[in-house]
Amino acid sequence: MSAREFGEVWALSQLSPGIHLVALAGLIGQRVAGWRGVMASVAGMMIPAAAITVGLTAAYGLVAAAPLAKAALAGLAPVTGGMTIATAALLVRATARHGARHAIVDVAVAAAALVAAMLFGVPTIVAIAAGAAVGALALGRERSPSRETPMG
Amino acid sequence: MDPLLLLLVFLKASALSIGGLSSLPLLRADLVTPGIATDEQVVQAIAIGRVSTGPNGLYIVSLGYLVGGIAGAGMALVAATLPPLVVVPAAALARKWLLTERVAGLVRGVALATAGLLVATGLGIVGASGVPAWWQIALAAAAAALTYRGTLHPAFVIAIGAAAGLALGR
Repeated sequence: MSAREFGEVWALSQLSPGIHLVALAGLIGQRVAGWRGVMASVAGMMIPAAAITVGLTAAYGLVAAAPLAKAALAGLAPVTGGMTIATAALLVRATARHGARHAIVDVAVAAAALVAAMLFGVPTIVAIAAGAAVGALALGRERSPSRETPMG
Repeated sequence: MDPLLLLLVFLKASALSIGGLSSLPLLRADLVTPGIATDEQVVQAIAIGRVSTGPNGLYIVSLGYLVGGIAGAGMALVAATLPPLVVVPAAALARKWLLTERVAGLVRGVALATAGLLVATGLGIVGASGVPAWWQIALAAAAAALTYRGTLHPAFVIAIGAAAGLALGR
């Protein structure tokens, strides 16, 4: 697989729903060995990791009721909450377009979803659908219409 | 909970999100709000997902196990695996269409809206068990900064949180 080919499958994988790495593994497997390649690469990525995740969860379950585990949870909740907020910031950094005017619009869309969910109780699914509609209509253009040179 | 129903909930969250942790706002709305799962379980699943190997989005396998045992974990694994793979036939049949501005805009819009929802979810998790103490707010801010910079392995950030909880959470 050439670097150009990899760049293309990577770009396609970023359009997938769910976990992009699964899409990337599937696309690479498909190029290398057809549908059997898809099965092998996706199974190779997911099954061992899922087994380890289940094992860790089961192991945690053995100690979850202990007072020490409860105390640890008081520190884990803010940490996972903070990680979730950072993930949001990373998502904006990865998807917001170049150029100040576009970037402001993009950040405003994210802020609107936050306000809609927190202050107005807009259901999650409605906020996502609105983001999809606004995006398809208005957020596709990467460069400013007034300039011919790509920005950033 | 009926495993098939759980599969549908996880499939919905996976199919309507862009990127690993992005399924969290939908799952929290569908599982925590109706009382099927607790925020405690969500916290445990995210923490275990960060410590475990594989993509971050596999936290849903941990959540599936907590809610529905081995069957729940299996359903979550199927739900995490199938939706991203629609891109494989789509790329073979309609590659040109996938790379249009309209699709790019749609994906960007979903990702940006999800980012806003993730902030709301993160704040909800921090405040899930009442008003957080000063050290919990500081811990959340530190975890956010460390995760954003990405220089420290997430497992260490989780360990810091557990240690702080043990020291201050009693």
